Amino acid sequence: MSGGEHDALIEHSVQRLFADQVDKGVRERAEAGVLDHRLWRLCVDGGLTRALASEATGGIAASWSAAQPILHGLGYWQVPLPLAETMAGALLLSMAGLPGVEGPIALIEQGVGNDLQAAGAGAAVKLTGTVPHVAWARHADSAVVSLSEGRLALVELRARGVSCAERLDVARLPSDTLHFDNAACVALAALPASLRQPVWTLGALARSLMMVGALESALEQAVRYANERVQFGKPIGKNQALQQQLALMAGDVAAARMAALVAASDAPDSTAADAPAATFSIAVAKVRCGEAATRACGIAHQVHGAIGFTREHPLHFATRRLWAWREQFGSDAFWAARLGALAIAGGSRRFWPSLTRRRFDAAS
Amino acid sequence: MQALRISPGLLPPECETLRAQVREFLAEAMAGVPVARRVRNWSGSNPEFSRRMAERGWIGMTWPKRYGGHERSSLERYVVLEEMLAAGAPVGAHWVADRQSGPLLMRFSPEVLAPRLVPKIVRGEAFFCIGMSEPDSGSDLASIRTRAVRTADGWAINGRKVWTSRAHQAHYMIVLVRTGERGENRHSGLSQLLLPMDTPGITVRPIVNQLNQHDFNEVTFDDVLVPHDHLIGHEGEGWQQVGAELAFERSGPERYLSSTQLLLEMLDAADAGDPRHVEALGRVVAHYATLRQMSLGVAAMLARGENPMLGAALVKDQGALVEQAMPDLAHALFGGTVAPGSALEHAMHYTTLAAPSFSLRGGTREILRGIIAKGLDLR
Repeated sequence: MSGGEHDALIEHSVQRLFADQVDKGVRERAEAGVLDHRLWRLCVDGGLTRALASEATGGIAASWSAAQPILHGLGYWQVPLPLAETMAGALLLSMAGLPGVEGPIALIEQGVGNDLQAAGAGAAVKLTGTVPHVAWARHADSAVVSLSEGRLALVELRARGVSCAERLDVARLPSDTLHFDNAACVALAALPASLRQPVWTLGALARSLMMVGALESALEQAVRYANERVQFGKPIGKNQALQQQLALMAGDVAAARMAALVAASDAPDSTAADAPAATFSIAVAKVRCGEAATRACGIAHQVHGAIGFTREHPLHFATRRLWAWREQFGSDAFWAARLGALAIAGGSRRFWPSLTRRRFDAAS
Repeated sequence: MQALRISPGLLPPECETLRAQVREFLAEAMAGVPVARRVRNWSGSNPEFSRRMAERGWIGMTWPKRYGGHERSSLERYVVLEEMLAAGAPVGAHWVADRQSGPLLMRFSPEVLAPRLVPKIVRGEAFFCIGMSEPDSGSDLASIRTRAVRTADGWAINGRKVWTSRAHQAHYMIVLVRTGERGENRHSGLSQLLLPMDTPGITVRPIVNQLNQHDFNEVTFDDVLVPHDHLIGHEGEGWQQVGAELAFERSGPERYLSSTQLLLEMLDAADAGDPRHVEALGRVVAHYATLRQMSLGVAAMLARGENPMLGAALVKDQGALVEQAMPDLAHALFGGTVAPGSALEHAMHYTTLAAPSFSLRGGTREILRGIIAKGLDLR
């Protein structure tokens, strides 16, 4: 099957699955702590969970650009599943030459926002420490852990030495704290890619693409509401004040989308491990999407008035996710600091050449 | 939603070869040029520099060879433009001619005026200014009152134009005039004329801006006579033609790069140990990277013959926000602590004073957002 055919197939699968199967009931049950196993099964059977993984591990070796409709869809339809995490985890396992695993995968980057320690060497590494804010951890069977020494580790979350304290993010979705006490790694391998902090970076990419979907949903809802809600004898969208705000929001959404698409096309995948522009472009995307999310949520709620503030109205499914996702896998401030440090180090002389290469190296 | 989407533009490898050539040229041509001049960016006018660019084939890059153009791709042109702008090169003299006047003449007077003028533009010998705004007609361009009456000897023009950048240095103006009555359609009855600036009856009066610089002018026309064949396109179709011209005017990388020299000075002055500096400048980098991709995407749309009006409006609106945020960021990080006479101080002062114009020129922010709102089907 050609690349183009894959792309169309993925987009079609996503459209059919998410549009038809994800409704308000699904979203509300997820916030009550229930994982929709039937929906998860449909994603597995539809090949979505392994889309990025190599063909050798049961995937279709899709690029991030080709798989972008899946991640976009998670945001656009507010699908409450650990799909993005599992997709990224499956990709990393296949890049490390490790076999794929069944069930949802959680993602951990050692040393970033946690005190996880790795003791031992070779195959006998044991993990100890606390890792907060692990998305969907309670529903995951395994975790892919990027170790600061460089290797990728696979940990079974139902095994001895691992416990899970259930917590929620602001979207009321699982964002649990994992406690490790000499937990064993069932597999360890080196990654071929030179990507620094691969879990954190690919997680940021996934969140950026998901945020674009949620942003577009929020914008569409706001425009629709502005055209339908009549006050003083005309749709409120006829007021210049609202038009100016929605135009500003549209600019943020267009910018976020562009940044995320460029990051997807610059990202490493199962057929191209070497991706020199990836770290830069993903940092750019996470910053730009985070800023867009902050401003867009404000405008979307303002346009909707009181009705958009209710639980009954669907707007909050999009905006709460935007508020949650803007701070996961590094906030915009976190990634901006990375970019700023490199830009200052390079100074005026290196700025423009680095920008056009999409690469700000620590060593010039 | 579809109409607002800009696809990423991809630069082919030959563009990077060209980029290296332009950088080599700039390394020599801009060596020792002080920040005081670089900071003027594309408002800086230098006929000699324009001629040097023309010699390298970098004016009229995409135009047909029949007019002396070089038939290179839009993306190659984009690379030259962004390198020039990032370096603060003084491209102002030929900017308007290359960006919009030449394309307008080729599109609407391909057999009469383009053959005469486009070759001169390509050689860097013909500079143009834009005759649109009037004292009573800014955003409401269709309300202009400068009239042109058809006489036996040609078109007789009476009226005045304002905010005309570099009219005092231009060889030609393309002037929007009223030639017919405004009927039911308020956009009817407008035409565009080619006006040589040495025609008798034209008076150019400087308007000094708040930077104490002479860029703007007021231009008055007292029975100015131009030949009949100086009509561009069709009589009465000026509004549609202006629309096409404005799309060109709004679509380039100059719409986000205007504050670049200040950014460069801030990067050199920044304290890597101060988290405020590090985070704030990092955000600017993210905005620059994104706007570059959006601008490139619009350029690629133009190259494919698509209508970039909505995309260009989005890019210009977002770009002006970043340009205007720059002097305020400089104030936040360095305000009150800058060394007197330093390059940073100069860049801060200049950009602070120039910043209000970034969201006014080429279509005000409010007008652009109205265009975007229309694209969202709100109007």
